[in-house]
Amino acid sequence: MKRIGNGRYIRHIVTAGAVLVLTLLAGGHTVQAQFGAFGGPRPAAVGGVASWILAEQATFYRTLANSLRLAKRDGSALWGLIGISFVYGIFHAAGPGHGKAVISSYLIANEETWRRGVVLSFASAVMQSITAITIVSVAAVLLGATAKLMGDTVRIVEIVSYGLIVALGARLLWVKGRGFLGALHEFKNQSAHAGERHAHALGDHRPDGCCHPAHVHHHHVSGRDPHGSGANCHGEELDVLPWGHAHGPEPQQLAGPGGWRRGLSAVVAVGLRPCSGAIIVLVFALAQGLFWAGIASTFVMGLGTAITVGSIATLAVGAKTVAKQLAGRPVGYGGVLVRGVELGAAALVLAFGILLLTGYMASERMGLF
Amino acid sequence: MTRLRLWLALPVLSMRLAVTVVLVVAASATAQAHPHVWVTMTTDLVYDASGAATGLRQVWTFDDMYSAFATTGIKAKINGQFTRDELEPLAKINVDSLKDYDYFTYATIDGKRNKKAFADPVDYWLTYDPKATVLTLHFTLPFRRPVKAKVLKIEIYDPEFFVDFEFADKNAIKLEDAPQQCAAWTDKPADQNFLPQQQSLNKSFVPSEAFIGMGMDFANKILVQCP
Repeated sequence: MKRIGNGRYIRHIVTAGAVLVLTLLAGGHTVQAQFGAFGGPRPAAVGGVASWILAEQATFYRTLANSLRLAKRDGSALWGLIGISFVYGIFHAAGPGHGKAVISSYLIANEETWRRGVVLSFASAVMQSITAITIVSVAAVLLGATAKLMGDTVRIVEIVSYGLIVALGARLLWVKGRGFLGALHEFKNQSAHAGERHAHALGDHRPDGCCHPAHVHHHHVSGRDPHGSGANCHGEELDVLPWGHAHGPEPQQLAGPGGWRRGLSAVVAVGLRPCSGAIIVLVFALAQGLFWAGIASTFVMGLGTAITVGSIATLAVGAKTVAKQLAGRPVGYGGVLVRGVELGAAALVLAFGILLLTGYMASERMGLF
Repeated sequence: MTRLRLWLALPVLSMRLAVTVVLVVAASATAQAHPHVWVTMTTDLVYDASGAATGLRQVWTFDDMYSAFATTGIKAKINGQFTRDELEPLAKINVDSLKDYDYFTYATIDGKRNKKAFADPVDYWLTYDPKATVLTLHFTLPFRRPVKAKVLKIEIYDPEFFVDFEFADKNAIKLEDAPQQCAAWTDKPADQNFLPQQQSLNKSFVPSEAFIGMGMDFANKILVQCP
């Protein structure tokens, strides 16, 4: 009980601040805002940062179009195009459909480090760029397809992508549900043997019993654990970012970090769906005879997007770290708490997938027609 | 005792953490889209001999970027020039798809918003301006039943703000064969900074529901008053 002391309040303030900043940063609309179907009234507009971001996006998007127009006559305008694409990407990622929600929830649900968060964000942004370029290259350049056909293609890709998010969420929910029950079980056991309860260090504890209490005792709640949260169990995975490491899918692997396959599944689920803006810009560039400039612009846009998504993902991981510190001791109710948060985040991934799939959570529209 | 307090603290703490996480994620999840399509429009209100409004003749000109996107893959005899016939299939797709969005056109008749005010368009076609490289969609949106109203409000907007509608600088609205005493005017949205703004119009013309809903902030309003 002594851990729940004064420091908690300061941390609460920090958390609240982080949440506030994020809320402003990301647009301030709640999920509910997306439920406003056509004709239905929507919640009032949010002023301040949200509308500023919205206005900036629109301005940059139009400037982007202008620089493409200019580039047709004046090659030097291309540098401007690249710069604008980058800034546009940063702002644009604040809009829907860039996987911030899914990636952040995924990171919270898993014991992920911020580094992995950043890598996942970049990978999914690059993948989004690649899908957009592939669709326009194949459909418009090679097949001479119409906008409708391209829109239909995106629609199919979109459904597959949302389906994958549902699958990802369902699996996370299953794994985290077991983790939560395990922690709960442990808590009850531990209540029975109260004397042993200092055996585990924060974040290192695994309900599945992977971590041996004996080698867990170091790296206490410093929050600067070089391995990131809970990485001790698989020492060899410490510095392995998503692509590096592929040992067999052991059951305990599902509960912790590492496992590039899981990272990859999140990247594919999120990155499969291209951004409508990128597709329109690419086709416009094609019409101007500057397709390659469109491709460059798309990649730079993706880079900008990755920066925003990566920052939000980092904040999400940070929020969880704070949450874990708030939870205090790693085992017992603290463990239950952390597993509970993970379970909640897993449920969110599933919920996002279902909402996206059923059209209740608006993603970006592909086009009018 | 400690054990008991611990149990008691658990639900409160869990709730707090859960709320924090949900807020963080929800905040990052749900920002709004910005426009990708720009439409400049003119609207004619058409009246019959009895003085009832029968429909809207709408002319929507898209921005060049979206026009380029929409015309991809359409075969043209002369490169870069599309005839009305060549654009016929696209016009059909446009009008069919617009149905799903209620043609972005909403009628409020004497203060009552009527969701089923309009029937499907009776005639429609696309034209292409090769110089400005822009597409223009022409269509007539008939009222299901001719409307005789003291105050008729037409709003044209996309609630999701994917499409940004704006009135043309000149002749944005016109009354065709309307009774002499009818007057019409437009009210543009506060689209400079996307902030909600109190309407400056005479209050008697603005039904109480006018302030509900964000889409309204982006709505282009046409108001027609007949005695």
